[in-house]
Amino acid sequence: MIGPRLGSRIAGMGLGAIWAFKLRSFFVVLGVAFGIASLTLIVTAVDGANRKAMEMVEMFGPDAALVFGGNFMKRAVNMRTLTLSREDARRIKESLPGTYQVIPMRARGGQTIKAGNKNYQDVLIIGATANYAEAWNWPLVEGRDITDDDDELGAKVALLGDKPARELFGDESPVGRVIYITNIPFQVVGRLSYRGFSGGGGSDIDNRIIIPLSTLLQRYNLDRKYFRALRVKFHEPDYMDAHTDNLRSLLRHLHNLQPEEDDDFTILTADEILKFLAMFKGGLTIFLGVTATIALLVGGFVLANLFSISVSERAEEIGLKKALGAHNSAILFQFLVEACALTLLGGVLGLFLGLGLGQFLSRLDILVIQFSWKAFFMALAGSQAVGLIFGLKPAKLAADLDPIQALRGEG
Amino acid sequence: MSFPAIHLSGITKSYSHLAEKKNGDDIPDIEVLKGITLDIGQGEFIALQGTSGSGKSTLLHIIGLLDRPTAGVYEVLGQDTSILDDDRQSDLRNQSLGFIFQSFYLIPYATALENVILPGLYSGKPRSELQARAEFLLEQVGLSDRLDFKPSRLSGGQQQRVAMARALLNEPDIILADEPTGQLDSSTSSEIIKLFHVVHEMGRTIVLVTHDEEVASAADRIIKLHDGLIAEDILKG
Repeated sequence: MIGPRLGSRIAGMGLGAIWAFKLRSFFVVLGVAFGIASLTLIVTAVDGANRKAMEMVEMFGPDAALVFGGNFMKRAVNMRTLTLSREDARRIKESLPGTYQVIPMRARGGQTIKAGNKNYQDVLIIGATANYAEAWNWPLVEGRDITDDDDELGAKVALLGDKPARELFGDESPVGRVIYITNIPFQVVGRLSYRGFSGGGGSDIDNRIIIPLSTLLQRYNLDRKYFRALRVKFHEPDYMDAHTDNLRSLLRHLHNLQPEEDDDFTILTADEILKFLAMFKGGLTIFLGVTATIALLVGGFVLANLFSISVSERAEEIGLKKALGAHNSAILFQFLVEACALTLLGGVLGLFLGLGLGQFLSRLDILVIQFSWKAFFMALAGSQAVGLIFGLKPAKLAADLDPIQALRGEG
Repeated sequence: MSFPAIHLSGITKSYSHLAEKKNGDDIPDIEVLKGITLDIGQGEFIALQGTSGSGKSTLLHIIGLLDRPTAGVYEVLGQDTSILDDDRQSDLRNQSLGFIFQSFYLIPYATALENVILPGLYSGKPRSELQARAEFLLEQVGLSDRLDFKPSRLSGGQQQRVAMARALLNEPDIILADEPTGQLDSSTSSEIIKLFHVVHEMGRTIVLVTHDEEVASAADRIIKLHDGLIAEDILKG
């Protein structure tokens, strides 16, 4: 057996050889680093996707459903998307058990707003009924929410998202100030907190202004009967499945749908979002997993090849060490130390390479990455596995060399 | 100590031609050693001579535990080697045998000092002791000013002297040398032979394979091999 003193001495020899055969070391480190970089990228990207999924679900609320007009899954040609009416909203609120908030919404995108001498373009204007912030679990930093009175009176009041508030008022409080939305004056009554969530592709969730639904409909001359989406919140999120089934039945009944007809609306819940994200994440994991595995295998084969060549080249050294009394296990151990030290180096390099690449991709809004110790340990474990698995065969080759043949240089 | 340093009795070594035998032809095994019986006493200086193919290298490898005989008894320092496993044989090589080769076999990326220490690293002795012993030995062979030199910066004679210091590091009883002067010019080789005399005078047993008569004449006893058998055993007076 190899004790600690002999072990550290052999390890020292291995490190000496790593330094002596720099070119071999360089290629092995590089080969392994690429594999570990992909592994790091996949782990951080999947964790990032997970975090994003959790954020989305958190934001959406586990106790809520969002109903859209039109059927997303079976979008027939010319199917109406404006199928939800105020009557639907009223009936749901009155008769669907377990609900405590029903908020219909419509939106107008790309509006220009103005305050004082400042302009800000391309804001999403959302019309909603009372308690918008509460319905979206979206705390206010100051001011108040939209109220029933606002909606009934068609009041010209606005709740600012973080982005337009900062664009127009900077660090000053917007509450009580007047903004112009396409030249109509609105009084700012509140400000939503910063959510900092970007849905990818540049859309910014904080870039929105909420006004009473009735005001939106009047000012933009929109159809008064129908709206685009309906936010429903329920007591007891544990029964979300039952809640959604009830909601679907009620809506089908209100829309006079026959059993053979498809829904003309779509119900979205946190569960559905999770399912969709899991599908997306699964694809990402498989794709990146295959890539990382191939990259690791390539690194492993580079190592195995270079080490086999190295064993032939260093046959004399191996034969000599055996003649001088090295046990076969000492030779095996030395080559494994060389392999694992190089893959460890490659692992560390790959970890930073992967994190750097991840940072770069997340700057470009292509990926969200999340660093964790898991990524760190997987990089280390992955590199050591490559070193042990792909280093074992050449190391055994070296250990099993016949000393006489080895001394003749016949590796 | 009543036992000889090396006791060989009826040692044979054959190589089979497995590759050719596949054809079904009955090719007889090649017998390199055909029954060597030989005692080498402790402190003897032996020269092993013979033409190429006489089996002298094979015999030295068997004595050096780098190869196992096909049949026969080999005892080194009273120890029957046939019952030793690979690791015990390695330990015996490490502790009791010192090797000197024709082409030196120094590790090219290690310094002279590190090369000399190498067999000590496998022995488990403390580093400080090994370091002191290696420095002492390199001084003895006249290389105290070359401790940190890599082999590529040493002459052939200097390299062989480093190899001799390395062979002596673990204070082995037996030194085995395979054509130690084969790659050296005559003046350098006589310096090396002088060192062998010094090593001999310290009481070590030396077995030296050579085809050089002058080198052989340094030994007390010359054993000539021919065709796998001992042809002559000359003890000088």
